[in-house]
Amino acid sequence: METHGRIGPAEASAALASAERSRARVAWTGYPAWYWLTTAAGLALLPLTTLPPAWLGVAICLAVGIVLTRLAVAVNRARGVCEGWTGSAMRAREVAVLYGPSAAVLLAGAFTARLAWWAPIAAGVLVFVLFAGTALTLGARAARP
Amino acid sequence: MTRLPDTEPPATEDGFDQLIHAPVRLRICAALNPVREIEFGALLTMLGISKSALSKHIALLTDAGYVTSRRAVRDTRQRLWLSLTRAGRSAYRTHVAALHRIVGDDRP
Repeated sequence: METHGRIGPAEASAALASAERSRARVAWTGYPAWYWLTTAAGLALLPLTTLPPAWLGVAICLAVGIVLTRLAVAVNRARGVCEGWTGSAMRAREVAVLYGPSAAVLLAGAFTARLAWWAPIAAGVLVFVLFAGTALTLGARAARP
Repeated sequence: MTRLPDTEPPATEDGFDQLIHAPVRLRICAALNPVREIEFGALLTMLGISKSALSKHIALLTDAGYVTSRRAVRDTRQRLWLSLTRAGRSAYRTHVAALHRIVGDDRP
């Protein structure tokens, strides 16, 4: 269908909604469930790095970071999308919804680690549940026709 | 192949682009805009249209200088990676801005 001439607000609004759905599908679909679960597990490891000696904790954080970055690049290539290092199909709001709660729990876990021995473990479990739950829910929502 | 008349420029002065505004082409550009490149098969799955329809629209966008493609071999299969050119990205963003203005929302 070719479109000629000026269009009205209703058609413009529908076109914008269609473009937004297209963008959301690129941002969220095509990821295998194990990718989100592995990433959640990697993030859940981070609060536990307060338990071993500091040097080992830092080394584990670096290793987790490298593995998760390489995994993200490989999975994106496999799903046929190359986002580049500086851009992302996800909107800032979606990034905040996905990573925000986990980041808050990670920070809370780090601050409370000296108060209770179980705090990092609880934080790790909570990060896993929050991140995996949010990612799988948003992915399923974007995949709807 | 459907082509716009040569006498009609794809974009008007306010940035509304007739070529991009066709529903499938708008979705193609919206998919390509936020990323560096997308593989043809992945785009096919995301848009849920036929291979021939996608090829036709990609050809139109390529002819206009909005989309570029490169072939790469992966897992012994040749794949086609598509991306928006600088002109295509600019035209798409200007077109979306024009749509926002029509709706009465002045977001960029």
